[in-house]
Amino acid sequence: MSMRARSAKPFLLIAPAVLLLGLFLVLPYINIGIMSFRNPGNGSPYAPGFTTGNYLRLFSDSFYLEQIANTLMIGAITTFACLILGFPVAWQLARTQMRFRGLAYGLVLSPLLVGIVIRSYGWTILLGNNGMINRTLINMGLIDHPLGLMYNSLGIVIALVHVFLPFMILPLMSALQGIDPSIEAAARSLGAGRITAFRRIVLPLSMPGIQAGCILVFVLSLSAYVTPSLIGGLRVKTMAVSVVDALIDTFQWPFGSAMALMLSLTGALVVLIFARLTRMKWKAN
Amino acid sequence: MTEVSIEGLTKDYGSSLAVNGISVKIADGEFISLLGPSGCGKTTTLKMIAGFEDATAGAIRFDGQDVVNVPAEKRDIGMVFQNYALFPHMTVAQNLAFGLEMRRVSRSDIATRTARVLDMVQLSGYADRYPRQLSGGQQQRVALARALVIEPRILLLDEPLANLDAKLREEMRVFIRDLQKRVGITTVYVTHDQAEAMTMSDRVVVMFGGRIAQHGSPSDIYERPASLEVAQFVGQVNILEGKVVSPAAGDLTPVDTVLGQFLVRGVAPDANGTVTLTLRPEAVELASADTGGAQATVSASYYSGSLVDYRLTLDNGQTINVQTFPRNRWAAGDRVTIKVDGERFWPLGAPS
Repeated sequence: MSMRARSAKPFLLIAPAVLLLGLFLVLPYINIGIMSFRNPGNGSPYAPGFTTGNYLRLFSDSFYLEQIANTLMIGAITTFACLILGFPVAWQLARTQMRFRGLAYGLVLSPLLVGIVIRSYGWTILLGNNGMINRTLINMGLIDHPLGLMYNSLGIVIALVHVFLPFMILPLMSALQGIDPSIEAAARSLGAGRITAFRRIVLPLSMPGIQAGCILVFVLSLSAYVTPSLIGGLRVKTMAVSVVDALIDTFQWPFGSAMALMLSLTGALVVLIFARLTRMKWKAN
Repeated sequence: MTEVSIEGLTKDYGSSLAVNGISVKIADGEFISLLGPSGCGKTTTLKMIAGFEDATAGAIRFDGQDVVNVPAEKRDIGMVFQNYALFPHMTVAQNLAFGLEMRRVSRSDIATRTARVLDMVQLSGYADRYPRQLSGGQQQRVALARALVIEPRILLLDEPLANLDAKLREEMRVFIRDLQKRVGITTVYVTHDQAEAMTMSDRVVVMFGGRIAQHGSPSDIYERPASLEVAQFVGQVNILEGKVVSPAAGDLTPVDTVLGQFLVRGVAPDANGTVTLTLRPEAVELASADTGGAQATVSASYYSGSLVDYRLTLDNGQTINVQTFPRNRWAAGDRVTIKVDGERFWPLGAPS
């Protein structure tokens, strides 16, 4: 094989993915970037000429800044809740005998088999003021007034955790499976109790999975649209919902694009800081 | 230092009896090997000593104190695993310090003790490396250092050389044995490699099917095997049928075999006066000239540098294997005379 052919091979292998990303991610982003600097239109999506006014409006209006903060907060809480709920499940799955693993694996994946719209509607039935949870609690005499479970951030977090839990459990499980049980045994033999062995050995070694799971769930939560719009209704809006409102309902393409870019950039910034904080020196080359 | 006493130790997994009532005493400072094929219960026994497996029945005593109900982290043992089980997210120094931190040793003492043990395993310059930056042999030495730095009562090694290449394995045998002697720590070594067990141990415990088949010094096991299984597990062996010629005179019994008549030690003949004898291949000497002994024809020879293995066919058709130094060489088809020292026969089923 000639030198040229050999050096061309890796490129050929990644070409389809690069093409797909280029056409359907990078180009749209550039387009959104340009759109975010266009003049708002009157009766049309945008008007000729360019302006920084869309960003000024975004940064000067505390309504939108609070919305960004709230969206990031919902993402962070959802991520943390998934981590806390998912870790024990992933640990059990990683250490379970083969016989039950298939079944348990199926159970973890099963939420993904039901469409996200249906699952979110399901949660509105459970969480509503007249929903199952509130009615049951009132009938039992535990509460007088319905708890505010819907049309607020709490409801969105509950539904998002349910929807995204598998995306936390799967990377955690693969990281935990990669930890040789004899490493834990070694820690025990050196005098570490179960809790110390977990904290000093298992937890740091599962960090690649924690990192991957957290980034996945956080990014998915920020960009989630169906669940927040159904559960949050008109009262609580996440950034993604507002972006769609601006683009489709109120027809403000430039302002919607500015919001979309802000969402992406702040999300990316949080992910970068998180990756930096959880950097694993022992993994580097 | 610690003396270990195991009494009637049993591990029942429900479907199978992994360890079936074994008893063995290990003296203070002794190096003992548990030798056997996979599934013989040697690793399960080690795990029970370490506290990673619960014993179904029996006692494990360290200096007379039963530790069966003591959790692994309180048994004060040093363990070396087959795959080293180093903490990949810690440097060599941090790996060594871990056990000392668990014992609340002061920071300065940790530094001195870690440095001393690293020097002992000849890895002084490697304190700040991560395990993945070390070769297999170096990782093995770190594992050994990590187990020794806590100055445990007992050192347990689970097939520690199995993942190393042949040359390094031989170096590490000597290294571990020397280190163990220098430290003087009671050591239990699990292996399926008979050469490893023989060269390193004070005593070898041969296990089959969860039971102890024989225990004794390496030469006991090799030269005076308790059963055919043991004889075959620790090396090549020829099996010869013998007939007792006359009653034993003292220790020695005259026995007639295809190789001639010999005075054999330890014979306990059955009612028919027959006895099954083992003969190691290297116990046989060959000569070209007919010096008065059994005659045989060389059917194959295998040269391996320091030794030559021959397959001989006796005139009655029986095959025997012989191992000699390559001073004289014979080729397939050559006639040879077999010379054997009667002392080198060992009867099966001998009273031990």
